[in-house]
This record gives sequence, structure tokens and C-alpha cells, in this order.
Amino acid sequence: MKKITIANRNNSTYEVKGNRPLLLELRALGLDLPYGCQYGGCITCAAKLIKGKVDQKSQVALNNRQINDGYVILCVARAKSNCTFDIGVESHDKLYRNPFIDPLAPHELKSDIATFTEIKDD
Amino acid sequence: MEGLCCGPGYASPSEAIRAPSEKLLYTIAIYTGTGIQKPDYLATVDVDPNSENYSKVIHRLEMPGIGDELHHMGWNACSSCHDDNSMSRKYLIVPGVRSNNIYVVDTATNPKAPNLYKVIQGSEIKSKTNLSGPHTVHCLGSEIIISFLGDAKGEAPGGYLHLNKDFEIIGRWENSMGDIPFSYDFWYQPRHNVMVSSEWAAPNTFMPGFDLEEVGHLKYGRRIHIWDFKKKKPIQTMYLGEDGLIPLEVKFLHNPNSSHGFCGAALSANVIHFWKSENGNWEWEKIIDIDNEPHSDWPIPIPGVMSALLVSMDDKYLYINNWLHGDMRQYNITDPHKPVLTGQVWMGGLLGKAPIVNGVKVAGGPQMYQLSLDGKRMYVTTSLFSTWDNQFYPEIRTKGGVMLMIDCDVENGGMKINNDFVVNFGDEPNGPSRCHESRYPGGDCTSDIWL
Repeated sequence: MKKITIANRNNSTYEVKGNRPLLLELRALGLDLPYGCQYGGCITCAAKLIKGKVDQKSQVALNNRQINDGYVILCVARAKSNCTFDIGVESHDKLYRNPFIDPLAPHELKSDIATFTEIKDD
Repeated sequence: MEGLCCGPGYASPSEAIRAPSEKLLYTIAIYTGTGIQKPDYLATVDVDPNSENYSKVIHRLEMPGIGDELHHMGWNACSSCHDDNSMSRKYLIVPGVRSNNIYVVDTATNPKAPNLYKVIQGSEIKSKTNLSGPHTVHCLGSEIIISFLGDAKGEAPGGYLHLNKDFEIIGRWENSMGDIPFSYDFWYQPRHNVMVSSEWAAPNTFMPGFDLEEVGHLKYGRRIHIWDFKKKKPIQTMYLGEDGLIPLEVKFLHNPNSSHGFCGAALSANVIHFWKSENGNWEWEKIIDIDNEPHSDWPIPIPGVMSALLVSMDDKYLYINNWLHGDMRQYNITDPHKPVLTGQVWMGGLLGKAPIVNGVKVAGGPQMYQLSLDGKRMYVTTSLFSTWDNQFYPEIRTKGGVMLMIDCDVENGGMKINNDFVVNFGDEPNGPSRCHESRYPGGDCTSDIWL
């Protein structure tokens, strides 16, 4: 079993198995969480991982900057260790940004289009 | 409100214009993505100026669960089956973009307090048709087609769901998607055996929010497509390039004999006019180009983001919005090649031209709008899509959406915000929600197509 701590809900704790998505496990234990598509594509259920490890290989919604900022798509992520999260829109301070004022660098794009070396113009 | 002799709707656009004024309208309102753990709902708004509840939400039909993101909707029947007296405009079909569920709402039994008649589960749609991300709903005769932007995994190009009049899944409507890379809006014009469709992006691209870099990586659309409507397959693509980045709403003129139509390219903030030429090929031209506007906080000028477009029932006026700028515009399109700007109003937006309207601080900008059949009353809402709202207008989370009304001068042209009408969805009982598309029970300017 893995212990999940929700920091912005008075450090409430939940015991999960880690074999199913955290959204399903935590909702079954009575935690009220937002969600939308339930397949990892839409970002509505994003939470911020403060400590711990998850497997969220099947998410397709987050760009690399959001991943580096700790965001986790709960509808597909499984707990791989004890974890601490902030949940809900209060955790979304870095999730949403004005894309014109604060554009992404090539390595910060979604994984299918991110590039990690600068391409120089001739 | 409907024609007396026959089925739903009206014999012609000119008959529709003479119909009684709307007294109610329905708009969807969302909590998805707002931080409020409540279902999205269909709001009934009283728009009868003689009612004591004028300009108020008088009923809220909550969906069964959270997280749908209700967005657009359509009727089970319209003037396309005016000759069929077994049909009536009774059910509103309301898809959830994120959940994939489709809700069928009975608006006729009690128009002020509609009730949920049937739910088509998103999982059933995925398993039977491999579609997700529903958007535009049109009836065609007694049956219904709905555009979907993705496959069951949220990848483009999606396709079209075909429902029968009892709202049972027939399957996919189209015989082929051809080379179409993306789906979004569509409209059809039966006398020309034509359907036209536009392109947003894959659900996995647009649902999490907007990144400009993804436009450069060709993750967003820049084409419109002409279909052979009877053969149910695309026959011509119009590549719009930089003039047509993210072509969203697409409409034909209401006159069923006309082949002229318009598409609003949201990011380019251009109106594309298309028509069938004498040799049978379809042609297009850019007829309106909204300049980007400088802003002290932005490194580049702000694009208009022309996210919607609407044609009056008399085909005289084209209406567009610039969601990020904050203005609504009216153009006289008597000559569709040469539109003439005849009206403009401001509400919200990032340019600071009208931050407060009718006493309400407007978060967001003019986004979706619906026009009365007589062309005189336009109802406008301010939210685009939860994740995109959160990026460009983060204050909408606490302020909610707003519905305003514009008085439109159909004789001489001109627009003016009506000072007696404002519905502040920031004051909703469960907290600030965001309103989007609206429909009127007796028909409006985006519900009816004539065979």
C-alpha cells in the first residue's frame, strides 16, 4: 500500500494500492476530485506532485514544462511510492499560462514535438 | 411558435423572420475546470421583456455527473423536416466535449423547466464508433449528425456520429474522411449537395489549452473541406495557409439556393468567403482581416481570436467576434465579396475598451452569440472553453461568465448594447459558472437548414 497525502486538504491521508489510476482510487476513498475525459487527454484532473513517484506514461495532455513543474494527470497516473499532492484549481498556478506572453522553449513542448537541441538557422 | 400546418420550423427563411419573438432561451453553463465540484447545466433564461423574471436564469437542469464541459448543442429537428408533421422541435441534443456523453433534453413538455430525456454514454459512443470530442449538432431531415474531433483516444481527425430520430447510434455517418487532418464545425446546403467542414485540432491538442508553438508544428487546422453530401465523402480541400489559421465556425447563407458561405479563422482573425464557381469548383477569398492590436504587456500584438461567426436570417448581415480584443462587429454582406462594416460594440476583452458593461465587470470577451429570427436581438456570452479561459482570462474563475444583449438595427445597420439586459453567471447559486452557446425554442439563426 502507498500513503497519499493531500497537502492542501489539511494533510489528509489515503491508503491506495497503486494498481489503478489515482483518480479512481482516491474517489473510491471519498476524496472529491475534478476530472473530465478520464483517459489522460484533457488536463481537468491535474494535480501537483510535491513528493513521491507516479507512473503517468499514458497521459497525453501535459507539455514538458508542466511535467517539470510537477503536474500529474490523476485519471491515468498510478502511485509508485508514498506521494504528497496539492489538488484542485488551487494547485494550477503554473498549469495555465498565457502562451503569447510566456511561450515554451522547444524542449518544453509536449513529448511528441519537443526537441532538445537548438536547430540553427543557416 | 412553429408553423401551423406542418412539422417543425418554417417553410422558408422569410417565414422564419416573421415568427414571434423568443421568450426563452437555453444556454449551457459549465463548472468543469472552474474548481467548483458541481455538474455543468442547461440554464433557461427569461428573455420576455414583459416578464417579471426578464434577464434572469429561471431554471437550471444539472447533468448527472461532473466534468462534461457542455459546449455546443443542436435540435433534434429543424426546418429541414418542416414537411413532416410527425416531427417536432422538442429535444435539445447537448454533448459533453470532455466526457463524450450526449444528453438529450426534452424542452417541450415544460419549456421553462426542461428535463433530461436520455443519456448516450460516452463509453458507448467510443466502443461503437471510435469517436470522442463531440462538437456541432445538426439534424438532417429526421436524423442527426454530430461532428467529433477525435478518435476514442483523442487523436485527429475524428468523424461524424449518426443518430436516428430515437437517438440510437446508427454508426459513423461519413463513408470516408479522405485526407482531412482535423474536424470541427460543419454546415450543409442540400440544394447544392454540399457540406462544408472546418478544422480545430485533435482533442488531445486543444483540450489541455493553447500553445502557439503547436500551430507551427501543424497541430492546428488551416483548411476547409467541401463534401459530396449524398456520397458522404470529401471532394475538395481549400488550403487557407496563414490566412486561415484555426478555421472554426462555418456557415452557409440561409437562402437554400445560395452556395455562398463564410468561415472565421480564429487565430488569423480573418473571414474567409467561399462559393461554388460556374465550373463547379469551390473558390475562396479573404474578405475581412482584423489587425492584431498592440498591448503593453504582450511581446507581440494581440490577435483578435475570431472564434465564432453568424449570418442573419435575411442573409444581409454577418456578425463576428474578437474574443481577445473584446469587440463584436456587424458587416453588411449584400455583396458577399465586399463586406461593409456597419456596427461595432465592446464588452470585456484585453484592450480595456469596456471593462464594465451594465454594472458587471466582464471577464472574458464576446465569444458565442445567437441572433433572433427577426435579426434584432443578439445574445452574447463571454467564455470560450474552460482551459483556454483559464489561460487568457484567469479572473473568469471567480467572476464567471456574462450574457449580454445587443440591439441590432436591421434597416440601417448598427449595434448597441441593450442597457436593460444582463445575466451575471458570477452570481449563480453554486458559484461562478461560465455560459457558452445559446438556442431558442422556436428557432434562431444557427439552427435551421432548408432542403
